[in-house]
Amino acid sequence: MCWAYLTRQNIGPSPIFLRRNGCSARGLLSSGRAVVSQISSNPPHAPTMPPRLNIWSACQALSVRPRSIAQWPQQCAAAQARGFANDRNTTSQRFPDQNASNLPPFAISLSAQVPAASENEIALSQLQMAAYGLDPFDSKVDGHKFGMPDLPLPRDLNHKHRYDPVVVQITKLLMRDGKLSKAQRDMAMILNYLRTSPPPKINPARPLLPGSPAPSQLPLDPVLYLTLAIDSVAPLVRMRAYKGMAGGGRSLEVPMPLEARQRRRTAFQWILDVVNKKPTKGSGRAMFPNRVAEEIVAVVEGRSGVWDKRQLMHKQGTAARANLNHPQLRKKGQ
Amino acid sequence: MSVPTTLRCLVRPSVSRHVPRQVAAVVWAAPFSTSSSLAANPPKKKAGTQVASIRSGKKMQLGKFKKKAPGGRTGKAPLPGERKSVRKRIQLSNSNALPVQGLAELTPEYMADKRNAGTVVSLPGTVQDQLRVVEAFKPTQYWGMFRNPSMLVRAETVDLMSRMQQSAEKKQTLKLVVSGDRITGKSMLLLQGMAHGLLNDWIVINIPEAQELTTASTEYAPIPGTNPVQYMQNNYALKLVQAVRKANEKLLTRLTTAYSHPELPQNIPINSTLMQLANSAKEADGAWFVFHALWQELMAKGQGRPPILFTLDGLQHIMKVSDYRSAAFNPIHSHDLALVRLFTDCLAGSYQFPAGGAVLAATSRGNAPRTPSMELALSQREAEQTGAEPPKHDPFSRDYDTRVEASLKNVQVMKVSGVSKLEARAVMEYWAASGLLRKTVDEATVTEKWTVGGHGVLGEMERASLLTMRP
Repeated sequence: MCWAYLTRQNIGPSPIFLRRNGCSARGLLSSGRAVVSQISSNPPHAPTMPPRLNIWSACQALSVRPRSIAQWPQQCAAAQARGFANDRNTTSQRFPDQNASNLPPFAISLSAQVPAASENEIALSQLQMAAYGLDPFDSKVDGHKFGMPDLPLPRDLNHKHRYDPVVVQITKLLMRDGKLSKAQRDMAMILNYLRTSPPPKINPARPLLPGSPAPSQLPLDPVLYLTLAIDSVAPLVRMRAYKGMAGGGRSLEVPMPLEARQRRRTAFQWILDVVNKKPTKGSGRAMFPNRVAEEIVAVVEGRSGVWDKRQLMHKQGTAARANLNHPQLRKKGQ
Repeated sequence: MSVPTTLRCLVRPSVSRHVPRQVAAVVWAAPFSTSSSLAANPPKKKAGTQVASIRSGKKMQLGKFKKKAPGGRTGKAPLPGERKSVRKRIQLSNSNALPVQGLAELTPEYMADKRNAGTVVSLPGTVQDQLRVVEAFKPTQYWGMFRNPSMLVRAETVDLMSRMQQSAEKKQTLKLVVSGDRITGKSMLLLQGMAHGLLNDWIVINIPEAQELTTASTEYAPIPGTNPVQYMQNNYALKLVQAVRKANEKLLTRLTTAYSHPELPQNIPINSTLMQLANSAKEADGAWFVFHALWQELMAKGQGRPPILFTLDGLQHIMKVSDYRSAAFNPIHSHDLALVRLFTDCLAGSYQFPAGGAVLAATSRGNAPRTPSMELALSQREAEQTGAEPPKHDPFSRDYDTRVEASLKNVQVMKVSGVSKLEARAVMEYWAASGLLRKTVDEATVTEKWTVGGHGVLGEMERASLLTMRP
């Protein structure tokens, strides 16, 4: 079994393979010169091959050119030399100090721009390649100002999913009277409060979720701060009452596990209950968010009464877990 | 009663009043009265004389559901002005943010240098204090997120500062209005002007919110002997004199008075320092005259006075009829308020500052009344600057105001819009270095935020990048 390669340098991942059985037929289009070295006339194609991919159709597509097709390295230079679309005077000299400091270096210089004449040549040669049935464009670079994005797409690239899921859920819980925009402003203020408040002092008696970062790192990542606080006080179970099942008209209390979203919802409702009972300290739109944020800090520091609610819920769940094997419940399950 | 006291009753009570309102001391005592409880000392009921009823404390419950106890709010009520001070508090530092290495500190010539356009510069501590005194920082700006107050020097900054420097060199007065869209950085440009003035030993006088002067929230009184009547605002003048005194302490102790001021209650002899003159404003009564005397001293020619920077934010508010009323209950035009008149006269070019200086005003887009004359005048000045055909009056409108147009005849207009991508990149690198922007600052990020921020509107870019959720 032998292979006939038709390829060129520097043109992306689109080589054409011509497969022949029992011989070596190799056409190499290298630096614009087509060389058909050796073509044997052994038995025709294998039964699995498509009928059009025979050697004669390949030869039709080949031509011998005395000149080189293109200077491919120049195309790469054109692709790399990116500037801001609307800045005519983009130069690297505007920020001379930036390189000296720790800040990242400034924009790529535009000095390597390609003259216009060779751009035409490149375009012509690309047309030529397209006429051969080859793909002259690197889809990673050409036709895209910033290249193609890496797949899978990051979550925040879709504008409908741009916020963290916990933040979205909590914002909706903050919402009153369907005023989502106001709730979003409140949420932004809560996160700002967390960002600017001093790092929390963790109470060892109220351990946060295992694997949580050091408290000094929390303020600069307020979403993590909020998520940590809510997930740490979130209950694992809720109590479900089966009416009249315990006998004598009493209801049967059974612990039920909660989903992650349900757990967060319960925890934040508890936090909101505490917040709504707190007296307001001032006027203005920042006051409600400040109270919520203070309670979140209190949760992380272990001062909040929400911890007791969680403990109580877990205690009830532990006490009532024997009811999971209650005969009435089993009967119902069958 | 004197006229000022009469007019006070027209003013809304404000928390910042320094003189407590005089409570009427006259108590009407009727010779006889049918209402015994109003008598001075009603006889106390003797304890134990009355027999407690059997059902005392018990009440028949008629409904099924109990009523909730009235009064949801418990605890101590906040003091007057306390809630406002919480709302208006300015925080300039966030100890969680990372300190940024390699930031230049602001020097007197920094912002006038063309090479420094597109850099972020930090404010020195002394200037921070002075700017805080003159209320250059606004509560809506994002100072409280960063370790130290720093600001972007943009192309408009360099332009404005070099114009200010040129006018001081030529002993001329720059009259300029900063206008532009919402949150593009107009107030920030004024702040940069003030920082430049303070570092270059200018006298800086700032009116941080023009609406405080015209929305009838501070007390006013006619100035005796003025025709047509002008009005002074003593409480505001006191605040202003104290701010000027604190911010320009070093200069005022060096300068001496050239005139005697017989209208002041305190005797200030000639050749005493301007600091003494400013210190004589201890209470609101007569504070306007102290400010006026201070202004006259600063205008004195041949006394080696420094350049002056007079700034005002929220120009629309002083370009309309104010909310105050005259004794005949006619609306008072803002330009009849003496302090506002002083500023508009400066804008119109009536005052020649002895050592030159600048009069800067910024329009406001968030909270501003509509002022057709001002809008027209500014667009006319702008068209004249570019050589275009200036727009004309709407012949069918009656909203125009000749006094406003006269005051804006000679101003330059600086239009502020979005920053360029280079400047956006500089400021985003600062955000990232502070730890508040958790992204790689590359061309794609800069372009994204620049585009999302309405082609580089700085406030929108801050919202898009610094706040996790845009409010």
